[in-house]
Amino acid sequence: MADVQALLKELGDVSAHPGKLLRQYRKQGRKVAGCMPVYVPAELAYASGMLPMGLWGGQVTPMLAGKYNPVYTCSIMRSCLELGMNGTYDGLSCILMPMLCDTLRGMSAAWRAGVKDIPLIPFIHPQNREDSGALEFLISEYGAVRSMLERYGDREITDEAITASIEVYNRHSEAMRDFALAASDHLDIITPVIRHHVFRSAMFMDRAEHTEKVRGVIERLAELPAHHWTGHRVLLTGITGEPASLLMLMARNSIAVVGDDLAQESRQYRTPIPEGTDPLERLAGQWLHRAGCSTVHEKNSSRASLLVKMARETGADGIVICLMRFCDVEEYEYPMLAKAASEAGLRCLCLEIDQSTQDNGQSATKLQSFAEMLA
Amino acid sequence: MEKQSAPRQKRPLPLSRRMVGEQAAGVYASAWEAHNAGRPVGWSTAIFPQELCEVFGIPVLYPENNAAAVSAKHAGEDFIAHAEGPMGFPINICSYARLNMGMADLMAKPGHERVEPAMAPPTFLLLANNSCTQLMKWYENLSRNLNIPIFFVDCLFNYAEEPPAPHKVKYVRAQIENTIRKMEDFFEIPFDWDRFLEVQRISQTNRALFNEIVALNSRKPAPMNGFDLFNYMAPLVICRGKRSTTAILRELKKEVEEHISHGTSTFRNEEKHRVHWEGIACWPNLGHNLKTLTAQGVNAVMNGYVTAWDIAYEPGDLDGMARAYQVSSTNSLSTPAIMSKRVQSVRDFGCDGMLCHMNRSCKLMTFHIMVGRETVEEQARIPVTNFDGDQSDGRVFSEAQFETRLQGLVEVMQAKKEASAHG
Repeated sequence: MADVQALLKELGDVSAHPGKLLRQYRKQGRKVAGCMPVYVPAELAYASGMLPMGLWGGQVTPMLAGKYNPVYTCSIMRSCLELGMNGTYDGLSCILMPMLCDTLRGMSAAWRAGVKDIPLIPFIHPQNREDSGALEFLISEYGAVRSMLERYGDREITDEAITASIEVYNRHSEAMRDFALAASDHLDIITPVIRHHVFRSAMFMDRAEHTEKVRGVIERLAELPAHHWTGHRVLLTGITGEPASLLMLMARNSIAVVGDDLAQESRQYRTPIPEGTDPLERLAGQWLHRAGCSTVHEKNSSRASLLVKMARETGADGIVICLMRFCDVEEYEYPMLAKAASEAGLRCLCLEIDQSTQDNGQSATKLQSFAEMLA
Repeated sequence: MEKQSAPRQKRPLPLSRRMVGEQAAGVYASAWEAHNAGRPVGWSTAIFPQELCEVFGIPVLYPENNAAAVSAKHAGEDFIAHAEGPMGFPINICSYARLNMGMADLMAKPGHERVEPAMAPPTFLLLANNSCTQLMKWYENLSRNLNIPIFFVDCLFNYAEEPPAPHKVKYVRAQIENTIRKMEDFFEIPFDWDRFLEVQRISQTNRALFNEIVALNSRKPAPMNGFDLFNYMAPLVICRGKRSTTAILRELKKEVEEHISHGTSTFRNEEKHRVHWEGIACWPNLGHNLKTLTAQGVNAVMNGYVTAWDIAYEPGDLDGMARAYQVSSTNSLSTPAIMSKRVQSVRDFGCDGMLCHMNRSCKLMTFHIMVGRETVEEQARIPVTNFDGDQSDGRVFSEAQFETRLQGLVEVMQAKKEASAHG
């Protein structure tokens, strides 16, 4: 028991203090590449010998970012720019930024204007994924990303290195999927906050190292008898379930997270990188297979049916839509999700997410009422 | 006995404006005619390759253009309220989208009263995301709610300042070709490549004519009130490939040239200051904006929005057409690229200042303004000011703020002129 708690504490520390880890990696002489949400070919950065670290903002009060960010910028992007402008991200060798939404598109200019010392590697995913040229297009985009990473990483990126990197990332994704399953059997230990920390820490750590830690957690959990949880069981969907204080409110109301469709968490891991011989084609192929995400165009969105299916499989009583404030792509999907939940007989709660908020009073009331409805 | 004043006579609209009205009415009528006959009707994003449906002879309506028209008539509030209320869309998404999705939902309900210009219900959608990514989400919702297909041309975003790289052109060209094949199947009509060439030629004639007309406003004083340009955008948006647009623009050009030769203008005051307007019009507040600008002697002689339909390519060059659809919209370009265009435009049109609409519905354009205004101030050496507003949601706009910001801009422009006059 002590072992699992020690491992979880370690991952919790990483999740809470990624800056400490960044300084540690820099001290070891490793270059670090920042990875903006939601999907970037971090495998290429890893293959270059750099350490890819996710940039998902933080609970900061923006003082500088307002110069370039409209007030209706989502809190992740606003805090990322703030942390870039105030020097917190100093030490990063470059930033990978996908053009997945209008805010990210605007951020590509804002970043270049506000953070001149950390070069940007922008790229764009093809959204017409059914079209015959989409794969070839993305291979070219990733080829350009590869070249820029070679420049900033000061090292050639070989096909062999990418293939090895893909193996590390695929193994890690598998471990995270296994963790999500194992966590549901131990909801007494894996509280909503702890579950989040395990996922969030993956954004910052060397994936090989993180796989080892997560496998350790899974093994130790397997040694314990499955816990019979008598509280409420929910799924989370959205971009993130942050800040952690919000998740603590769930625990306080006997609400456990039994699965998620969060961009920061399980969406990262549910689509394996396909097999193949050309590593760039494999990475590009993963994008073509992604589904059920608001940043990905689908002819018929599979997100609602995916959530309902996940609820059936996990025995969830309800869905909490963690609606990132000012996230257009998520806001357009809210009615679809609320309707699907209602039609499936699932309770549904919408929580407005703003990372920078210090006051969860409204959410506390909503969660308390939600728990009463689930009872 | 109370003295009654005679009702103020409205100036008769020039022929070109009446032609615009007749053209739009014809487009809506042909869509209804197709609907009533059970034939296909399309709804399209504003910068989709219109050439395709023009060749097929299928009527297409433009929700963004419709939302602008409905908003200008102050008739959009109920649709927006329906989208935010019963449909559950958050207030933060684009107001054109809220208005249109609300309208699409209400028009299917029995007893719904049409608001003119009323769109015929669509049987398919045309989506090009060169203006923003929200279009994609908006059309996904329409497609899902109405159970109709989308023809999608992903036009990407030019994050770099350079022209689109060859792999980007190839991807977009292939999509246009594939869309043609898919449309042939859907409409059960073979694509007429000769007609395609003809439509491309007409489209190029029209965009070139519009550019010539816009360029005439660089004269001092300008022959046109710059806001007139907003009124003449519709033919380019909804009928870019039609000869009727050529006729309208030729008439407009003739009228503008007459103003030049007579030394007159459609701007109804002495042109004391010339400004560059940045962003979409505040359609619900257009009258107020114009009245306030005119009272201050400020002519917004040029705006970047109207150039979005300057889709320039050589007829017959499909690569060129693919490239053009990637770079025409303000929002398809990086901030440095778009702002260097604006600097040039400010110089070409002799603008004394820039007035930027921080459009609540258009996040990317707002980013462009916030990041790029320094570029304009430094390179064009003119004052820049902004105001909060929205393209369709009148709740965002404050008359007092607009007036105060404009007053501030006028004072700076005036002071600059006086300083310059005194050496």
